[in-house]
Amino acid sequence: MTHYIFFGAFYTVIAVVAATLIAAVLRSRRALVSACQVDRIRWNSEFHDLPQRDRVCRHVLTGEFKSRECPHAFDCRECETHARLIEKHPLAPAGEPEEDLFGMQFPLDRFYHRGHTWAHLEPDGTMSVGLDDLGRRLLGVPDAVELPQPGTRVHANSPAFRVRKRDADVRVLSPVDGEVLETGGPGRPWYLRVRPESLDLTHLLRGSEIRPWLMREMERLQLALSLESAGATLADGGVPVADIAASYPDADWDAVCGEMFL
Amino acid sequence: MANNLIARGLKRCSTRRFLLWIAPWAALLAFGLYSAGLCLVEGLNQTNMDNRFAFGLWIFLDLTVIALGAGAFFTGFLLYILKVDELRAVINSAVVIGLVCYSGAVAVLMVDVGQPLRAWFTFWYPNVHSMLTEVTFCITCYLTVLFIEYLPIVLKNRKLREIPTFLVFEFELHKLIYVLAGVGTFLSFFHQGSLGGLYGVLRGRPFAFREGLAVWPSTFFLFIISAAAVGPSFVLLTTWLVEKISRKPLVRPAVLELLGRISGLLLAVYVLAKTVDTLVWINRTSPESGFPAAQYYSWRPFGTWILFAEIVLFGLVPALIMLTPRLRAHTGWLVSAAAMACCGVALNRFVQTIQTLALPTLSFDKFLSYYPSWQEVGTFLAVVAYGALVYSFSFRYFQLFPEERERYQI
Repeated sequence: MTHYIFFGAFYTVIAVVAATLIAAVLRSRRALVSACQVDRIRWNSEFHDLPQRDRVCRHVLTGEFKSRECPHAFDCRECETHARLIEKHPLAPAGEPEEDLFGMQFPLDRFYHRGHTWAHLEPDGTMSVGLDDLGRRLLGVPDAVELPQPGTRVHANSPAFRVRKRDADVRVLSPVDGEVLETGGPGRPWYLRVRPESLDLTHLLRGSEIRPWLMREMERLQLALSLESAGATLADGGVPVADIAASYPDADWDAVCGEMFL
Repeated sequence: MANNLIARGLKRCSTRRFLLWIAPWAALLAFGLYSAGLCLVEGLNQTNMDNRFAFGLWIFLDLTVIALGAGAFFTGFLLYILKVDELRAVINSAVVIGLVCYSGAVAVLMVDVGQPLRAWFTFWYPNVHSMLTEVTFCITCYLTVLFIEYLPIVLKNRKLREIPTFLVFEFELHKLIYVLAGVGTFLSFFHQGSLGGLYGVLRGRPFAFREGLAVWPSTFFLFIISAAAVGPSFVLLTTWLVEKISRKPLVRPAVLELLGRISGLLLAVYVLAKTVDTLVWINRTSPESGFPAAQYYSWRPFGTWILFAEIVLFGLVPALIMLTPRLRAHTGWLVSAAAMACCGVALNRFVQTIQTLALPTLSFDKFLSYYPSWQEVGTFLAVVAYGALVYSFSFRYFQLFPEERERYQI
């Protein structure tokens, strides 16, 4: 009798392990059918690998919360707390000189993604997508740019295009969902022109949120650069140069860009 | 190219330095494989074991690494079942340690048992009266579980996750990992116990024989508790060692303290249980078998010092250190206590295997001495080198410590 119990337990264990594997395979097969789902999984996985302090809610940046980790992987479109807070305290319009922040240009007619891209609604209903000024200065003159073919679908928080700079292979995250209509590049003011799937841009930063966010980004940049044994660095003040990478020839630029572009 | 394989935001040494680090380990592994090959081809005459002294260095190694590898199941149990979320910082490392320990133990068993091509016989023709059958089944199953638990760690590699199939499979598998953690706990619980039970049921060896509960001798429970106690200690010790070698802070000090507290608590329970067990054995079990317990300790070098070292020096002392908040907060004390706890479990497994077999039990028996041959030592070292290599590659190319990225920037 005890033998039957022992073998019964043993085969039950094998069955549970096999069922777990099969369930994972079946769920993966289902998810793989949709590119959107794959992108969502990729971002969720990468978001959870970010250091805890980089996963903070946008309302921590503006001082509304002392500490809060974003529970929606920076997709505020599905966040009830964000909707409630915005309803309660609508975003104050930014002050006049806000476009010039720390010596960089952050035009207020754009919506900013925390991975240093922006989206701008064009009069014809399309959206242009580009690198913000800090992102541009981090990459300087890129060694190579890999842009998606027109007709490709991009999803918010999923890779929109890739840029190579020195040893860094940077995937730049898309701020919006949509279909790529046209591609630009470093020589043009935008990288992609996209037909958006939705005009809901509540997940992107805008107006008075930009200054506190950028202030934090500058701190993160300083931290990332100080780790790259940059040597003697000016403690404070000054304006980021046009090609930051060129000023740090020995730094591991892949690590710096990995931090800054999320 | 190599840089693209290293997780984003992590700093690792240059390929050249890494090759210099692994070269001696690879040489040691090659020597060990040669030794193991000799044993497999020529037979166990290459060893200093014989029919009378059938358990030697290898079984001691197996029992020790399986106890030390218990950190994988116990950390998984605490994290996924009891939701002790702080342990997420070390779970990947614990899984790699468990995988290395268990796969190393199984590899050595294959050399020890011999005829690896007939390994499947144990499953097809199981000896249902042997505790070893349960051990074999459970260890094989748990090793499979560890391989599956290791998969998400591998598939999270920067290059591999660019392949959508791997990315999605890793994500979906990770969501079900608590099932595997539960299965791992169940399997570990039984095979750790059965390994202890193996000795406790030896009526012909009164030094090892123990009374117990139903069919389980007390050693069944002592092995479970001791493994659960030193598993976290070994994870703590490894983490500290990796921090020192890589010169990077990998986890918050609070995580190491938590591991120490868990280990200390379980070690205290173990010391208490072991003390009661030893007193019952000295005063009842052994005399009833016709052997006063003192007799076992008259054979040198196995004097009473070994009992003292096992229970007090490597049991009670580290337990007290790890349970004292002031001492625990000091890395030196904490790491020393963890190392002592690991030595304690190794000593206990040594006593169970080597000392048990060395002591005479029949009137015409002699006290036996055994010293491993170089082939045995070579095979033993192969497991150590294999462990160092697997861990080194895993540390370099996979993210074993999720907090490393943020710790590094503090």
